[in-house]
Amino acid sequence: MKKLISLLLVTVLLLSAASALAQTKLTVWCWDPAFNIYAMEEAKKVYALINPDVEIEVIETLSADCETKQTAALSSGQTDTLPDIVLMQDNSGRRFLDTFPGAYFAMDGLVDYDNFATYKIDKFTSEGKRYAVPFDNGVAATFVRTDYLEAAGFTLADLTDITWDRFIEIGLKVKEATGQFMLVTQTGYADFVSMITQSADFWFFDEEGRPNINTNPAVRAMVEVIVKLHESGIVKEAVDWSEYIASFNNGSAASTIQGCWIIGSIVLAEDQAGKWGVTNIPRLDIESGTNYSSQGGSSWVVPASSKNAEVAVDFLSKTFGESVEFYQTILQSSGAIATYLPAAEGPAYAEPHPFFNGQKVFEDLMGYSAKVPLVKYGVYNYEARDEIVIAIEAIFNGTSIDDALNSAQSAIEFIME
Amino acid sequence: MTALGAPRPRGGLDKRTARKGWLFILPAVLLILALSFYPMIQAFLLSLQKGSGNNLSYGGLSNYQRLPRDATYVAALGNTFYYLIIQVPIMLLLALILAVMLNDSKLMGRGIYRTLIFLPCATSLVSCSMIFLQLFSNNGLLNNLFMRWGWVSEPIPFLTNAVYARLVIIVTMLWRWTGYNMVFYLAGLQSIDHQIYEAARIDGASVMQQFAKITVPLLRPIILFTTVLSTNGTLQLFDEVRIMTAGGPGVGTATLSWHIYRSTFEQVPRFGYATAMAFTIFVMVAVLAFIQMKVGERT
Repeated sequence: MKKLISLLLVTVLLLSAASALAQTKLTVWCWDPAFNIYAMEEAKKVYALINPDVEIEVIETLSADCETKQTAALSSGQTDTLPDIVLMQDNSGRRFLDTFPGAYFAMDGLVDYDNFATYKIDKFTSEGKRYAVPFDNGVAATFVRTDYLEAAGFTLADLTDITWDRFIEIGLKVKEATGQFMLVTQTGYADFVSMITQSADFWFFDEEGRPNINTNPAVRAMVEVIVKLHESGIVKEAVDWSEYIASFNNGSAASTIQGCWIIGSIVLAEDQAGKWGVTNIPRLDIESGTNYSSQGGSSWVVPASSKNAEVAVDFLSKTFGESVEFYQTILQSSGAIATYLPAAEGPAYAEPHPFFNGQKVFEDLMGYSAKVPLVKYGVYNYEARDEIVIAIEAIFNGTSIDDALNSAQSAIEFIME
Repeated sequence: MTALGAPRPRGGLDKRTARKGWLFILPAVLLILALSFYPMIQAFLLSLQKGSGNNLSYGGLSNYQRLPRDATYVAALGNTFYYLIIQVPIMLLLALILAVMLNDSKLMGRGIYRTLIFLPCATSLVSCSMIFLQLFSNNGLLNNLFMRWGWVSEPIPFLTNAVYARLVIIVTMLWRWTGYNMVFYLAGLQSIDHQIYEAARIDGASVMQQFAKITVPLLRPIILFTTVLSTNGTLQLFDEVRIMTAGGPGVGTATLSWHIYRSTFEQVPRFGYATAMAFTIFVMVAVLAFIQMKVGERT
């Protein structure tokens, strides 16, 4: 009996000792191993030196899955299924903050926001409070195989500051010379719908947040460009993300026009080193058209349900929020261009990139970034984009542009009712 | 048991047995009430609430009034009935023919055939859809073979053209569910007495006549059962569409369940409206099942 009691006592002691030593564990949901997950792993290393008692587990979760999981958890009240940190698309910020008030942890006073680009902070500001640590810059660019261009008698300069019509002309010649597609994007052209509209300083909503589709000159011009691209035959329309990535990694497409975070996936094809170049994107042939846009930047948020919310914010603030060195590391290997302003002063930004034939890619991208038209995102960004994608599909099948855009306008008005 | 000679309690034995019987089914009844009917009532109350996310407020029947004006809902409703009208009859007829063929005791290796045809049913809907996605995608197996054999010069847009995509989804459903229905028919066929067929043969009835005059009438309860079951399943079609086409191109392959899912989880969430849509499916299933049973009972 005595033995049993002492055994129990020892067990109790051991257990309490173990729990005192137990580390704080943070879980993180984010996507893209070549980019966000890589950055998170690097941030982990940085924070391990500052606070070794914190264990961080990264769970790869696709962007769309992050959103459905959060919606399910927040609407059912089962918030204990949420992680401590989630990566969120800038386009979705207003939607989650507005539809689930109180679901996210406000970071005012815990993060030094003075050092971040204002446009990023705005996307996660609700009623004067700030809810995210901004991460990557989604500045868009044309990433192109210079060897394919040369085969058709063009250089990178020929692809710079051009209109979409010119892009298609060049594309046809490249296709003729190399037998490969000029461009790859996913079927439905969803990325192009928002990217091209923003490049002409317009968005799917007007200043008051009302849907602005059927009378929007940029949307109309964008739709016309996409129809031309589709009919020209120079675009490979990949059915899913992996086919999209594979198309430029295996050389069956000469270029992709995308947010700069795509660099992380481009450099994976090591055999293509030295054959790539970067330039600005084609512009719409309307008055406000520019050669600059952005696509798919994201930010880190902390659900209010997290038991370690303060630790999570401390982790984000000490890594993504104040470490210039950290940004230097992730820049070179993944192309993670920061929205943390002091990072741009680090030497890595001015270095020539060997994969891009010595081009000072990051300096160029930072230059484009400063010229991106700043449009005002709303709550229904994706819904509006999806309605336009449906309209474009209808136009491909013979509906007139007017009819299709009118139905998109009424469809989005209906959704927002 | 009451003692002999004692006056029988009022209501007699029947009532007491009945009371005991009720006690036996009570746990099941309570579970169904708590797990099935209570959520249904809650869902109905939710369907009366409007707003997005957690900002909900009662809005009477406004969600139901929204339905006919929702172009996506109308398109999804059309697609769902398209699948229903084309897929269910083909599948049930195919299942019936296969069952009759495999019921022939002279057929060699019929156990193997039965297993092979039933096997798709053991596949999860998700894996089954993934496999068909691989087969039919632009650079999938079929397009690769067709191009290699020189049958086509460009990949056939199986999943990016609405007409083809709907057919591919129907083919997927046929592959997945025909064997399942066949098993019901096989079970039904076993219960039909051989002597009936023998007598018919002696009277000179052809195979077709036997099928139409004996097999089908005697299987009617089972045909009715599988029809109700398949109608119910098709009206709730979701996995195949979500995985293979995500409702696209446009809303070309969208179904009601896909639209409900999208309005709940993918778009700015409108739980009330999504629940109202779910209730319309519930009503449709009930009405169709009622009609089918009325038609099926008639002799």
